[in-house]
Amino acid sequence: MEGLAGAEKVIALIGAVVVAVFALISLKGEWPKTGLDDQVTKLLLGLMALGCVLVLLATTGVLPRGGA
Amino acid sequence: MAVSIAKQGYELGHGHDEEAHEEVIYQETRDMRLLGFVFFLCSDVVLFSSLIFAYIYMRTTVAPVWPPMMDGHQLPRLDTAFAAVNSVVLFGSGVTMHYALEGWKHANKRQFNWFMLFTIILGSGFLGGQAYEYAHAQIGGWSGSIFGASFFTLTGMHGFHVFVGVIYLIVLWWQTARTNLYNTHRYFGLTAGTLYWHFVDVIWVGLFFLFYLW
Repeated sequence: MEGLAGAEKVIALIGAVVVAVFALISLKGEWPKTGLDDQVTKLLLGLMALGCVLVLLATTGVLPRGGA
Repeated sequence: MAVSIAKQGYELGHGHDEEAHEEVIYQETRDMRLLGFVFFLCSDVVLFSSLIFAYIYMRTTVAPVWPPMMDGHQLPRLDTAFAAVNSVVLFGSGVTMHYALEGWKHANKRQFNWFMLFTIILGSGFLGGQAYEYAHAQIGGWSGSIFGASFFTLTGMHGFHVFVGVIYLIVLWWQTARTNLYNTHRYFGLTAGTLYWHFVDVIWVGLFFLFYLW
């Protein structure tokens, strides 16, 4: 089980980095747009990048749960 | 203003320019539909907020220890590593949905189709992960403990939204393939679908923190 948990953490770590990078690239692309849907998209993409940061913190053991 | 634009569109339509007429009507109603859809998302925020605040209240006030006790034993914590993988799957689907919409906007049907497929697969994968977690979570079931009740209610509500989202995306995909509802200028349904999908992603950010990291 420990080995499986370790593999899961590595997959989550790599996945979170990849998704965060693409989310931030998408956010950068959306940034100049000013429509209501664009503003909402910017907010949601930013929060999604924050979610990736939470996953990173969990898998690296920074947060209290430590990715247990 | 709205009436004059609609009237202008009507006159254009009567002037043998049906396409321009439809374009004006679309532009006129798009903003209203978008605003209505954003209000719908706001109402969903209220729904989730009420459940989240109930959970926070129970956790900080009602239960002396967390995870709470059941039958004289403290319940185990949830599996953070598995949830982290499942979270990445869902967040990844948000990115693929964004690229699907961008593909449609730029008339790149191939990009749109591939990324829609990825989004639907990842969304379904997240639901499968949730089902696996439900089957293996040792937190006393829905009615067994305050932990189980709050966990299954909140994540169940979210999972239902993801399920509806997957159906929504399949319908949108079918519409783009079989109907002429959307083109590179008129694609409100796809915009709404993308916003909805991002929304369920973001709700999960909160739930992931509350249930697995707090």
